[in-house]
Formats: sequence, C-alpha cells, structure tokens
Amino acid sequence: MSSQTTNPRTTFEYKPGVPAEYEDDPIHGEVMKLNMGPQHPATHGVLQLQLALDGELMRDINPVVGFLHRGKEKTCESLGWAKFFPHTDRLDYVQPLLNNVGYALALEKLADIEVPERGQVIRVVLMEVSRIAAHLIYLGTTGIDLGAVTMFFNTFKEREKIYTILDAYTGHRMNNTYVRIGGVYSDVDETVEGMLREFLEQFEAQVDEFEGLLTGNRIWYDRNRNVGAITKEQALAWSLTGPNLRGTGVEWDLRKSQPYSGYADYDFEVPVGTIGDCYDRYLVRVEEMRQSTKIALQALDRLAKSRGAAVLAEDRRYILPPRQKVQSSMEELIHQFKIVTDLRLPKGEAYSGVESSKGELGFFVASDGTSEPLRCHIRAPGLMNVQVIPLLAEGRLFSDMVALIGSLDFVMGEVDR
Amino acid sequence: MVIVKRKELSFWERLYLPEVFQGLSITLRAMFRKNVTRQYPEQKLEVNEVTRGQPRLAVNADDTIRCVSCGLCEAACPAYAITIDGQETDRFIEREPERFEIDMLRCILCGFCEEACPKDAILMSDELELADFSREALVYDLEKLKRPVSALQPRLDYIYKLSNRWNSSSSSS
Ligand code: SF4
Ligand code: SF4
Repeated sequence: MSSQTTNPRTTFEYKPGVPAEYEDDPIHGEVMKLNMGPQHPATHGVLQLQLALDGELMRDINPVVGFLHRGKEKTCESLGWAKFFPHTDRLDYVQPLLNNVGYALALEKLADIEVPERGQVIRVVLMEVSRIAAHLIYLGTTGIDLGAVTMFFNTFKEREKIYTILDAYTGHRMNNTYVRIGGVYSDVDETVEGMLREFLEQFEAQVDEFEGLLTGNRIWYDRNRNVGAITKEQALAWSLTGPNLRGTGVEWDLRKSQPYSGYADYDFEVPVGTIGDCYDRYLVRVEEMRQSTKIALQALDRLAKSRGAAVLAEDRRYILPPRQKVQSSMEELIHQFKIVTDLRLPKGEAYSGVESSKGELGFFVASDGTSEPLRCHIRAPGLMNVQVIPLLAEGRLFSDMVALIGSLDFVMGEVDR
Repeated sequence: MVIVKRKELSFWERLYLPEVFQGLSITLRAMFRKNVTRQYPEQKLEVNEVTRGQPRLAVNADDTIRCVSCGLCEAACPAYAITIDGQETDRFIEREPERFEIDMLRCILCGFCEEACPKDAILMSDELELADFSREALVYDLEKLKRPVSALQPRLDYIYKLSNRWNSSSSSS
C-alpha cells in the first residue's frame, strides 16, 4: 500500500475553550461537520466551505476553491495574446471592462505602446462605471443575504441602467470585450456620452437612498458591526488589497499610489475605514461609488473636449489597420493577415496591476518573442479575500459567515480562474 | 484620504419599530414608481446596428457569397467556433467556402471574426435568440448563415465608421 498523506486541513481537531456565555449550552462539545456550498446561494458562486460546528460556533473553517477552474492562464498560453481578451471578461464577470483594461495594460507595457489620450479617458470612464456596477452587485447580494431584499432590486435597477449604456456603446450588456491593445475598439459617441452623464448625475441621489436604507438599519447594523474585523497588520500579512484593506485604515489605492491610465490627473479621494469590520468595508465601498461617480464625470468633461481624437494607438505591428484600407492596399491586407494569425509581442516580461473593485488585479505576462505567450499569470484579488475567511470566522457564530462572505466580496470566476 | 464615518444609531433607530413603519412607507412609495422590469418574450430588447448578435455571412444581391474562405475568421475566433473548407470557383474572387460552419453553442459573440474579415463577408447581425431541440441543430451551416447584404448593411456602415482611424498619416509599409 502506498503511504497516504493526510491533509491537515481535512482532519480537524476540536479546539477547546468555549466562551463563557456558551458554557452551559447542552449541545456544546458535540462537533458537527457541515458543507456549505458549492451551490449555496450565499456563497456568491461556487465556493465550498467545510465547517466544523460546535453548536452554533464555527470551530474549523476550510474554504475549498476550484469548482469554477477553467484553466484561464493556460488558455492564454495556447490562444495567443489578442484572443485572450474575451477570456479576461469572464474572470470577474461583474466588471468585464476593468479586467480587459488590466490585461491590455500588461501587454502595452510589454510592447511599449502609448495609448492615445482619448483612449485613456474612455478607459477611465469604463473602469469607473464597471467599478460602480461591481459595488452595486456587492450591495445587492449582501443585502439580500442579510435580509434586505429591497436592496437587491434597487441596486439591480441602477445596474440595469449601466448595462443599457454599455449595450448602446459596445453592443453587449455583459462580457463586452471592447478594450484592445493600444486603446479601445471604438469611440464613445455623443449619445452614449449623454446617457452616461444622465446616469452619473442622478446616481449620487441613488447612493444616498441606498445609504438611507442600510446605514442606520438596525438589522444591517447589528449583523455587520464588529463582525469579521481584521487588523492592519493581518490584512497586510495576508496581502489583502482593495476595499478590504482600506477598511482597516491603510490608504492604499493603486490609482493613487501607482497611477495608470492617467489617474494622476483626476481629483478624487481614497476612502478608508477605521477598524476593518464588515461595516467599515461596507462604508468604504459606498463612498467609493461616490468617488467613482466623481472621476467618471471629470472624465466625461475631458471627452467633451477631445471629440474626434484617436482612441487606438497608431502602431501597425499590433493593431489592425482600418477596414477602408484593407480593401484597397496590399500592405494593409498583409498587416491584417499577420496581426490576426501571428501577433508577436517582444521578448520580455511585464506586470501591471489595476485597482479593481475587489483589490489589485494584476496580470503578469512573459513572452519569448513568438505569438504564443510563455506565461500569463493573473493575480486575482478575490483569492486573497477567500483566504482570510478562516482567520475572521474562527470562533464566531455561524450566521456571521453570511455577512462575512458578502463583505469580503469575491467572485469565484476570478478566484478559480 | 477620507475616513468614512461610522454611524451610531439614534434612539429611534434603536427602537426598531418606528423604522419598520418607515420602511413600509418606502415600499408603498415604490409601488407608485415607474416599472423598470421588462416582460421579456412579449417586450423584446431593442436591437440596432450596435448590437453584436450572432455572426452571419453576407450574400451579394446576385446571390453569390462574399466569403473567399481565407480562414482569417477561423484564426481569429477565440472559441474555435468556426470551421471552413474552401473550394475553387469560376467567379472573379476564385475561391468560396464549400463548408462554413459556426457552432453557435461555442460562439461567444465577441465579434473578432467580423473585425478580422478582409472582405466584409462575416458580420454581426442583430439576431440574438438561440434555441433548438438538439445540439446538432445549433451548428449552423452555410444555408443557415446566409443573409442578404441589404439586411446587414446598417452594421456594415457602422463598423466602417468605427474603424475609420489614423486618417492623419499616410500608410506605412
Ligand atoms: S475572414 Fe471573411 S472572407 Fe475570410 S473566411 Fe472568414 S468570412 Fe470568409
Ligand atoms: S463572434 Fe467570436 S466566438 Fe463567435 S464566431 Fe466570431 S470570433 Fe468566433
């Protein structure tokens, strides 16, 4: 018989030390194993949690990821550079355009392409609108998990407006695939600009309404406050990023600390919390929606000033030539064939991170100079968010788990990739 | 940097009961708001030339297909949805597809085929609905994919407008 290795995480031990108030609980001492997920609606995707419960107390928590593993990184290596764009949409599927930009930035760094000004501004608008959409999902789904069904309908109503705008701009509601190496596929026309402005101008009132429904809501308050608090040191040690880190009071936002796509020129604030519990994370996200609105409105003003400028870099090595010329010019036709069938990026490595709604979304790409990527690694912020669940849930009541999962905010498409 | 304000509940909020009635009043108000849901099968999504629906093959007015079976769309497809076999033809374009299949179950409507096609032969139509009883029936062959170019003309004009870039400079080698 081959020697069997035991997984330390699956053989859990009963940890003594019951809090005084549960001492007399007749059920205490009897450990029950419970599988939560992978099809439990409150796990926000296909996350499985193996729990050891002592009465209502969680004693041992083992998050199991990988149910949605589709091998995205390997897919990138076999598909090639440009064809991976639609796959980045499907990582964190609530913010496809943000993922697109993250991947494009890494490729542009590798190939040393300068994105034209207007292309960058459009990207900023798309990223901020995606961030709002992602935070709306957080609010809605966490709300419905904690009993605030109204939130789900209200946030999805707003999200629907965003998707209508994206539909008018990209032709798709989700999975837009509209960012290309060197810019964005098409220009934002005046109709879409008007729709965006109309949405953003009414959105702040909507955020106030969301806050009115939740911030002072006794149930929301009790279930989030002092639940799942993480300290600054722990958050940094577990490499948390995004609102989960900012909730603890660390001011770390890639848009400020390592500006990309011209974020340095926008006027906005980074909201931070104080003690890093679920309530702080909620407040940070709500404030972030307001800041995103502010950034997007500033970007729209810039768009109004630069109408007609290029949105795609003029670089015939990587970017498809205009359709008009493909029909008439032999060189352009050759470019078209070359770029579609054999797009090569220079030899080297590049890493680029963007501030996604969940944290730092990074793409590491390595090229050996051929059309097949040598390596593509995705630093998914959601994975780090899942990792801290045992740390934060240990010894707490089972019902806190739902609030915790909701407030850590991860999307399994990205965690499992 | 702004530090978010942690709210402390007021006495009334802590009492909970008045809040329930306040919540009910919001619900009541919402009843008189405009309805935002869509009754889907009866009330369809609006489609226009921007919509990226399923890819279709353009057929000229004289019933000849535009595609020259160059295989670029096949190479550009990230979902490996397209299969093409080419054949010779007496027409001026010399080649045309013998077999052209798009597996609609694989297609993710990304539009890369349309972007890659040098002959404006494959275009994203505004057809979105997809339902059938078997998987085989959803692998669309030439006959199912053909559409008269007049039906696809708005989309064609639109993508020409989109790709009208780099006008300022002359074409390099
Ligand atoms: S790219 Fe266009 S011309 Fe070439 S095979 Fe595809 S549809 Fe036909
Ligand atoms: S739309 Fe995309 S997935 Fe569908 S056939 Fe064209 S390239 Fe392939």
